[in-house]
Amino acid sequence: MARKEGDLNPNRRNKARAESSGRPGASVNMDELRELIALLRENGLAEFELERADFRVRLRRESSPAQSNYSADAPAVVPTPTPPPVDVVSTAKPATPTAHHPGAQAETAASEDSDLHLISSPIVGTFYRSPSPTADPFVKIGSNVEPETVVCIIEAMKLMNEIQAEATGEIVKIYVENGQPVEYGQPLFGIRS
Amino acid sequence: MAFNPRKFKKILIANRGEIACRIIWTCKEMGIKTVAVHSDVDRDSLHVRFADEAACIGPAPSAQSYLNIPAIISAAEIFNVDAIHPGYGFLAESAQFAEICEACNIKFIGPSASVIRLMGDKIEARRAMNEAGLPVLPGSSEAISSEEEGLKLAREIGYPVIVKASAGGGGRGMRIVRTEQELGQALKTASTEAAAAFKDGSVYIERYVEQPRHIEIQVLGDEYGECIHLGERECSIQRRHQKLMEEAPSPVLTKELRQRMGDAAVSACKKLGYSSSGTVEFLLDASGEFYFMEMNTRIQVEHPVTEMVTLADIVRNQIRIAEGEPLGYTQDDLLIVGHAIECRINAENPETFAPSPGVITAFNLPGGPGVRVDTFVYSGYRVSPFYDSLIAKVIVHARTRDLAIARMKRALEAMVIEGIKTTIPLHLKIMDDPRFRAGDISTNFMEYFLARNGRKSAVEEGVGAGAKARA
Repeated sequence: MARKEGDLNPNRRNKARAESSGRPGASVNMDELRELIALLRENGLAEFELERADFRVRLRRESSPAQSNYSADAPAVVPTPTPPPVDVVSTAKPATPTAHHPGAQAETAASEDSDLHLISSPIVGTFYRSPSPTADPFVKIGSNVEPETVVCIIEAMKLMNEIQAEATGEIVKIYVENGQPVEYGQPLFGIRS
Repeated sequence: MAFNPRKFKKILIANRGEIACRIIWTCKEMGIKTVAVHSDVDRDSLHVRFADEAACIGPAPSAQSYLNIPAIISAAEIFNVDAIHPGYGFLAESAQFAEICEACNIKFIGPSASVIRLMGDKIEARRAMNEAGLPVLPGSSEAISSEEEGLKLAREIGYPVIVKASAGGGGRGMRIVRTEQELGQALKTASTEAAAAFKDGSVYIERYVEQPRHIEIQVLGDEYGECIHLGERECSIQRRHQKLMEEAPSPVLTKELRQRMGDAAVSACKKLGYSSSGTVEFLLDASGEFYFMEMNTRIQVEHPVTEMVTLADIVRNQIRIAEGEPLGYTQDDLLIVGHAIECRINAENPETFAPSPGVITAFNLPGGPGVRVDTFVYSGYRVSPFYDSLIAKVIVHARTRDLAIARMKRALEAMVIEGIKTTIPLHLKIMDDPRFRAGDISTNFMEYFLARNGRKSAVEEGVGAGAKARA
């Protein structure tokens, strides 16, 4: 899965940290930085630059939809989630029967979290939170993840597939339960960058 | 005979579109639960809505969804299904998929993997069926190495013959030869053309069938060695090896010829130990000689015309056979009543055949006596460009062929699909064609029809003579 253009370029953040730690009296800390980021998001700001005597930081936010997770294997075809609504002349469209999808409820929940980056399942299988039944979960709410952090296992045909976060941030939502069947594209975790 | 019946509680349908719906309808009648697997763009497809359970297994490209064996098996395990019905196309004739199902203890609704593999190799299939007693088109199985060899072979085969490129297709590197005097020159020019087109100038010789008809025999076999045929379908109306419409019975088959062809097909299938639904394809020449072309080890698109005239439910029989039930019919039980015609409605421009995906804005299905429509689209449905263009099959059944043609005309006129282009107007024109109405058709029909109706002839489009179709 490709990395979404992030709210914050980690290189910039690290650079800011490196610059600040290298100079005596430099005054930036992670809490301040997080607050700035939150300020950006809450006020819908696209870009923010702060300059003080000893440092300067610029944050730029790309507004991308939370649902765009591309399979690394897929070519440039974009999976279209829903067709646009259409005014229909006759009402032959079947109304009620709808098959039971594993993903139905989770998707409704995830669709409300449009500001989070979603980790979606790249395959159909069974979701497990820990490497083994007795072990601790890979991540919990509040865990910080990097792109290569393993967040869960999806089992398919007796093969345990480790799923990586492919994003940086903090786990704030978990949409599925341990042992639950999941389908391709189903939201698993919500990450706040 | 030890029967080993195991009733299915749940079947996963490894397919999409109209055949997925078709399978669901019979499963509902049998009280069997269904699981639909689909790509993300097929989320709103009818088969997904009417299945009991569903799972998205991948993105739109077939290789990552409907051909994705691990994803399909994974879904089958999650939903704990008893069997998988592969439909037609996709994995229906994948011996590997059949084997994997077996290894995972999921019943593959179809014949054994070994028979699938054998019939999938067209040269081996010809050899095996020939050994099993079916006539095959006389011809050389290897490339011709000299003009002398060619002449000798052609004398054995009998004129007219056709010289064909070994590496070729699409009408190139082919020459029809009617007399011995023409053979030498034909071998040279065909070879030169083949070398230019396919970088391989080797050619072989086959009997040339003038105005061949594509006649296929539907068979059903159980897992205990019983096998019967359900009569024939005529599928001569094709464009570029794609069937456009089919009918049962064939307007030219006599009772005697039907019996000969049917018995030959059944006898060969019994020798192979064939089980489940299958179709043996033949080429029929003007003198009533028939030759084995290939066998399709699956249910076919055009199965409804057989169902209409025999009152059989082929999907139901496939499921019963897979459950381990004995066939329960003998050949004497076969009844062929009336005449059925099927038109394949594609989302294409009816004159240029260019694909026409898009949203269906108005939709009306014909009804009334003797009309059946197998479809998966509805008003508001978005026809996607990722899969083949078949969106509906209109099938009619009536007491005679003339009545069936009249019925098809009025059914097509009442079929409304707006928002996209469809081939309905083309089929209406065919219904009015005098040769079609007379039953005077062969695999060259569309070439004649398109030329007559002002379109580029099929030969210019590269369709070879004596070609047979892919279902």
